[in-house]
Amino acid sequence: MALVTRFETPARLRDLPPGSSFYDEWHDEIDGLLGPGTSGAVPGSGFYNAATTDVTVAGERVLVWMGFPRELLTTQPAGRREAFRQGETRGDRAVVPAGMNTQVEYLEWFTSRNSAKKITRVTFTTETPEYWKALYRSRPDGARRVLELYRELLGNPAITAASLTTASGAYNPLNQWNTSRGIVHYIVDGPANTLEAALQLAAGAAGGSLVDDNYELDGLAATSADPRVVIDVKGLARRGFQVTAAEPIGIYIGGWDDTGFTKPDGSPAGDYWRVVRPVGATGPPALRLVYEVPAGEGFVVGDLSIGGRPIEFGGQIAEQLTVLVNGLAGSRA
Amino acid sequence: MSPALVFGAGEESAAVGREARAAMAEVAAFTPVLPKNVILPQRLRPPDDDGGADHAEADRAEAGIAEADRAEAERAPVPPEEPAEDVYPEKVRRGIQGNIIPGFNKDHQHLFFYRITDVAAAKKFLRVIRPHISSMHEVLEFVRAHRALRLRTGLAEPGLEATWVNIAFSRQGIEALMGPGSCDEFGELSFLDGLAARSTYLGDPTDPSRPGHRSRWKVGGPDNEADIVVIVASDTTTGRAGKIRTIRRWAATYGLKLIFEQRGDTLPGSLAGHEHFGFKDGVSQPGVRGKASSTPGDFITPRYLTPASADDERPRLFAKPGQPLLWPGQFLLGEPRQNPEHRYQRGTAATAFPSWAAQGSYLVCRRLNQDVNAFWSFVAEAAASVGRPPISLAAALVGRWPSGAPVMRTPSADDAVLAGDLFANNHFLFDDDSRPSSMRPIPGYAGDAFAQARADMLGRVCPHFSHIRKANPRDTSTDLGKPSDTLIRMILRRGIPFGKPIVGVKRPSAKLVSQERGLMFLSYGATIEDQFEFLTRRWANSAIQPNVGGHDPLIGQRDQRGDRARFVDLPTASGPVRAVLTGEWVTPTGGGYFFAPPIDALVDVLGA
Repeated sequence: MALVTRFETPARLRDLPPGSSFYDEWHDEIDGLLGPGTSGAVPGSGFYNAATTDVTVAGERVLVWMGFPRELLTTQPAGRREAFRQGETRGDRAVVPAGMNTQVEYLEWFTSRNSAKKITRVTFTTETPEYWKALYRSRPDGARRVLELYRELLGNPAITAASLTTASGAYNPLNQWNTSRGIVHYIVDGPANTLEAALQLAAGAAGGSLVDDNYELDGLAATSADPRVVIDVKGLARRGFQVTAAEPIGIYIGGWDDTGFTKPDGSPAGDYWRVVRPVGATGPPALRLVYEVPAGEGFVVGDLSIGGRPIEFGGQIAEQLTVLVNGLAGSRA
Repeated sequence: MSPALVFGAGEESAAVGREARAAMAEVAAFTPVLPKNVILPQRLRPPDDDGGADHAEADRAEAGIAEADRAEAERAPVPPEEPAEDVYPEKVRRGIQGNIIPGFNKDHQHLFFYRITDVAAAKKFLRVIRPHISSMHEVLEFVRAHRALRLRTGLAEPGLEATWVNIAFSRQGIEALMGPGSCDEFGELSFLDGLAARSTYLGDPTDPSRPGHRSRWKVGGPDNEADIVVIVASDTTTGRAGKIRTIRRWAATYGLKLIFEQRGDTLPGSLAGHEHFGFKDGVSQPGVRGKASSTPGDFITPRYLTPASADDERPRLFAKPGQPLLWPGQFLLGEPRQNPEHRYQRGTAATAFPSWAAQGSYLVCRRLNQDVNAFWSFVAEAAASVGRPPISLAAALVGRWPSGAPVMRTPSADDAVLAGDLFANNHFLFDDDSRPSSMRPIPGYAGDAFAQARADMLGRVCPHFSHIRKANPRDTSTDLGKPSDTLIRMILRRGIPFGKPIVGVKRPSAKLVSQERGLMFLSYGATIEDQFEFLTRRWANSAIQPNVGGHDPLIGQRDQRGDRARFVDLPTASGPVRAVLTGEWVTPTGGGYFFAPPIDALVDVLGA
């Protein structure tokens, strides 16, 4: 397989015109995150950078995991409702102390409610801060484009450039439109929902001591995502494979399942999903997904039920979402 | 991937019909092989010799081993006592219903579904039936006595028979007996909601006109939910019939209205232990941790593994090769559960239940009709499309050959001898090569000499959609992460077929074809939502969970606003071929969510 000459943006986004230098800058970003790769314990195995290491791909491994934080469901003695309530915890540190953000499975969401406190919309994202920072940095149009996208995604033309930046003028991922008043990309940092964290996790998993099988792996995190990545990468590396993330490298919403969602009259809920990013997509994979009952139906998301239970928290829907990354395994060419 | 092949959308061709019938005949022609690791006393004849089918070879194999090597086992190294497990003394064992642990596993069963019409009378019914409820102690003692008698007499069926009864209650049933709000302390929301309310969440049809819609169920629909289910299980039809008469009389006397009843029987002849499609069922069950006494090695679930090396911890994880050990709190309320982050460490006990419910268990009942012709017609058609023998394709759908031999151990052809080896037929991993186990000495058993399973991380031998890989991905990582999470999803299956078999019937009459047949699926667990519902909704019904590759083609259900098509990505030499399944061969026709209480609660609480 020929070397990757330019890493693609997630879902092949084209937020700036195709000729923009941003796309080379993004390649450099990914190339830097991947670095030279790592060597595995089995000769020939490792985690590789497809821009610098030529590997003949032998197979694809799709890694999926649950979007709702696993640990909340497995450790919550007060029951599932309390787990879902705690799952709504996402915000900047003024509101949510470090380490207390619960949306740690590389899926974050923002729950919008009406004056009656009923849910009207839940917006999910798997977009990374790296992408938005890189886009903002890109000259000459990046900052302007970021502002445009914020206005567009949040449906608010009044968002100002100043509200997205720090006092020094740098892009502020923890701006109010990405924390308390909406969502655009990941902010959770304990553990970090970043592309860097995901790639480092995979790269680190290729090495380490050998085990006979997955049962023998100790020290795995209580999340769904981290063990999923670690186990699969280790398993492939144990078999002597070189492993990497497949193009376009990114973290995606891999599926959503509304089986058993019902309207207030008990009939099946309509298809209320809307893929917002990438533009034009109607199904998975997605980067930004909205669940919202169209105006005119006469009810809102909070009037729906899942398996007979009213939707009170966005996390009840997050539980029905899966997050996905694509992996490749092969041998050095 | 090649363009999708769509099956079940048109009329079945004559050629497909012929192939389907041939495959069904081949499945039925299966000859069971008595487990080679059974210690056969001289007078114990193979089942064919005495004209009877071997209905429970698994039980008998273990019985033979357990008894014949008892003396030697006492001298052999005892299995590791780490992690330390609790003793369940006789008094405690007498309080736990026996179909939960160790399970009735009788060939002839009968289920009554009742509605309470007179609360005071119903309480009398509970007091009357209380002495007849079979406990964990009674069932374990029977198994022990049965083993001893078999060894002493040398007879496969030494004449020791039992007929057992267990009971469980729906939320409505408990509230009818104890009053409104009496279930408020149960933290299991799905039990409180009931199966009918959860039906479409489980992928059942949303269209009321479709078979399988809850409004058409024989029991457990919105208007015919049962308050009480009584399970009768016997070694003989006469034993069952006698107990059925007794239960009927009591029910009539004490104000119980019969909503529905279902007889269940192990399939006859060579199909004993198989479900209606023709595949051996129930091969894989978890073992439950705990000891019957403080005597070293006196475990409730027999242990056979010894460490192969100083760092071999498989004896801590498995009772026998492929049978994981689970903490009893996975099935009994209030007992220590699995640590969800670790493969064998003790976790905390659940607390979300009323105190009287401790050591009870949730019972899931699903009456599942099986359309055997539809299944095999699909198999025949799909097999022809991808150039694979029908039985081989069907084995890929199931993950086991009709005999029960796992495709992971024998990818190319069925192997009845392997199927009969209880220490080999469930010993395999998916992601890594399986390794020979070190076992304590078992007289007459030379060990597992079959080819070990080879790693199949990408699902090319046992596809990710295979029923057994969906229901238990074992060592494979899942959408919930690590294998220790998979352990907390496991259930104790206690199902039994109903209806007359059609597999292998050369010229079935129209009447036979039209008759209902299927499985009374029964399972116990300490939750419904995190075990049965999880396995159903999250894995069987999903094309991408726990791993990408398609829906469970056996039990998977899908209803996306009326669209019920499922798919599987069939592995072929030239890459996966997507087969879209528009037909259905498993249809829910009833059931319910129940709670099987501790036995004393029948009189002290529910009947008080």
